[in-house]
Amino acid sequence: MKSVRCLLFVILSSICMSSIMYAQDIDELIAKHIDAHGGADQWEAIESMEIRGRFIAFSEEDDFYALKTNSGAYYSELHLGKHKVTEAFNGTSGWTIDPWHDFSFPRALNKTEVNVFSQKAEFFTPFYKWKERGFTVELLGKQTVDGIDVFAIKLSRPNGKSETWFLDANTYLEYKCESEWVDFGYGGPAESYFDDFRTVDGIVIPFFIERTFYQRNRMLQIEDIKFNVEVDEELFEFPRSNELKKLAFLEGEWDVKLDVWSRRGSWYRLDSTFSVILWESTNRLLEKIIYDRIYVQSKWINYSYSSSEKKYKIIVYNGFPSDFELFEGNFNDSTLIADQVFINGEDSTQQKAYSCIILRDMEGDSFVFEVKTTRDAGANWQPQDKFTYIRRKEVF
Amino acid sequence: MTSVIFIYTLTGLAQHSNSESWSQFRGPHGDGVSTEDLSQINWAETQPTRLWKKEIGPAFSELIVSEGVVFTMASEQTDSISGFEFVVAYEEDTGDELWRSNVDSIFIEIDGWGHGSRSTPTVDEFNIYSLSANGKLTANSKKDGSRIWQIDLIREFGSAVPRWGFSSSPIIVDDQLIMEVGGTDLRAFISFDKTNGDTIWTSSQGGASYNSPLVATIDGEEQIIFANGQTLFSFTSSGDTLWTYTLPFRGIIAMPVFIGPNKIFLSGIRNPGFIIVQIEENKATEATNGNSMKNDFSSCLYHNGYIYGFHVASLRCISAETGKVQWTKRGFGKGSLILVDNKLLILSDQGKLAITEASSDSYDEVLSIQTITGKSWTAPSFQNGKIYVRNLTEAACYSLK
Repeated sequence: MKSVRCLLFVILSSICMSSIMYAQDIDELIAKHIDAHGGADQWEAIESMEIRGRFIAFSEEDDFYALKTNSGAYYSELHLGKHKVTEAFNGTSGWTIDPWHDFSFPRALNKTEVNVFSQKAEFFTPFYKWKERGFTVELLGKQTVDGIDVFAIKLSRPNGKSETWFLDANTYLEYKCESEWVDFGYGGPAESYFDDFRTVDGIVIPFFIERTFYQRNRMLQIEDIKFNVEVDEELFEFPRSNELKKLAFLEGEWDVKLDVWSRRGSWYRLDSTFSVILWESTNRLLEKIIYDRIYVQSKWINYSYSSSEKKYKIIVYNGFPSDFELFEGNFNDSTLIADQVFINGEDSTQQKAYSCIILRDMEGDSFVFEVKTTRDAGANWQPQDKFTYIRRKEVF
Repeated sequence: MTSVIFIYTLTGLAQHSNSESWSQFRGPHGDGVSTEDLSQINWAETQPTRLWKKEIGPAFSELIVSEGVVFTMASEQTDSISGFEFVVAYEEDTGDELWRSNVDSIFIEIDGWGHGSRSTPTVDEFNIYSLSANGKLTANSKKDGSRIWQIDLIREFGSAVPRWGFSSSPIIVDDQLIMEVGGTDLRAFISFDKTNGDTIWTSSQGGASYNSPLVATIDGEEQIIFANGQTLFSFTSSGDTLWTYTLPFRGIIAMPVFIGPNKIFLSGIRNPGFIIVQIEENKATEATNGNSMKNDFSSCLYHNGYIYGFHVASLRCISAETGKVQWTKRGFGKGSLILVDNKLLILSDQGKLAITEASSDSYDEVLSIQTITGKSWTAPSFQNGKIYVRNLTEAACYSLK
């Protein structure tokens, strides 16, 4: 019995010791890796990094610019063919304008892209402060890649994604990384290679990065790096659609007077109410308004702009009958005119009776939202409702 | 006068008897290999010297060489949507233009990746045969560029212009000009009488792809091999089908590579990456496959039991038996390569030329030089100790002597 206890003690001790040694090994390895990059003290002083260089995609070389912060934000401008691509990430979410991908307007990143942008946002590898950031690491062992001895480390992020880093066994600098990348919104495996390490202000950075994913090949040759540059945090936030900015003044709280067109041919006041209009996302203004028009009308009005169709779109959802109407149109001088569009298979061109919305008299603190109707396919228009908006003043 | 001509003729023979002619896409045998002897070159003291460099106009066609004349295709844009493609001849040593002949309107690539011709012409003793990116197959006189005949593949055979333009390069087999046409009604592949453009035989269903026919002799029989869609086809020179094989991927762009005596290597960007097909008694079976080589548009070559080529954008040497990676070298982007007398001539996609030993042991560079700049997707050519390179719009000639 005594000998069994001794054996158990030895086995358990071995397991504990190997775990402790393993932990020491990987901690030591990562510490050497960070030292190879200039040391933690140096990196602690870095709040932002500005990168300029040349980027090669599709065998065509062009300018590259990137800005990174120690809060995990990232912004870059690069070129894919003749298209300029803008990318931004605030540490948790981001956006891109990618005409190569047929998006000439900002769009939000999907989850796969968020993971990729998290990788792009790293100052160098993700091992700096990996514990504080909730990452886990696993030493996969010593391997040989392209004839070079490397330590392979699997790093897992809190988002569940993992990547494998291969650190040069002699220099402790990164040689290769295998991670998930993205192409046209779809995830796929990528291999990244790091080279041309240079020291800038005591900090060691790979000035050459080559990345291959699917049949894509991207190369970045950094030419200049500046640390602790001034950062405009606005860069990382979702930009507002340039076209929708023409309606930016709608954002706010409004007192609203409702007039309806009488059979006698004049306006008469039906109700007074208020409205709130919010800039919901890059390309969407959302209004909530409740008013009496015989019955209580509870409406959400969505303003957006379609870059592909080059039209403003107004969707009016009325919670009272639970239906919605779609309007499309454009500015004519300073007036936005949007005609009703029929959906559900109805042919708009065959409709004789429909409505239009007119936003006019836009003064900044006031405007008119008018609804007109036609019964002869637009030959004659009859006024129907007129909402006069006056911006609510703050009361102290 | 007769003696002068005789001496000139002898001189010409002396000049050109040193090597087979790089007279078609991928060289004398369509395999990216020249057997020209480079053993006299002292590589430690050699630096290629530029003989000429010139703007020639957008195209991806290789430069081919025949009897002291360099031929290729190029294009000229007259406005944003129009222009023309032409076949052009340059003097080998000076690059002086000898003639040019319009063959078609220009192919405009809408995303801006490069307008103009994709296919490489081929020459025989008297004529040059070319295919424009919009599908005009033309025979011109080598001497002065005068047109012999022309066929519109779209009008005559119902072919459709592929997304990136007609790219297949014609080959000459005896008196036939054989090529992938992608026509309707079992006219995917057509043999033309090269003297007049008449159709000799047609075969199979399939659209125009980005691949060119390969000629290989297997079991003593000359075979014309096409990779089209997801099928590998083999025909006799008289158009009889010898065998077909369904590939595990479709639409490969890189050329099939013949591994004598009876294997064919094919590679594409999709899994499994590559396959080696073995032919026995006109029956094709898979010998092996793997993912250690994934060709995009740049073709591999075979040498002494190994395949050399671009795995996406990494130059690699893999075993032609097992696919085992022997070595990898990055930095060439989506480059291209040819083999000359046991040396690999590698052109990066930015115009850097490197010459290395064709060794399965390691990448062993003997020299490198920046030849041209900008997007260089066209493989180099080699003839009479001269290396010909081109980027999208320029061509240059370097001498190793």
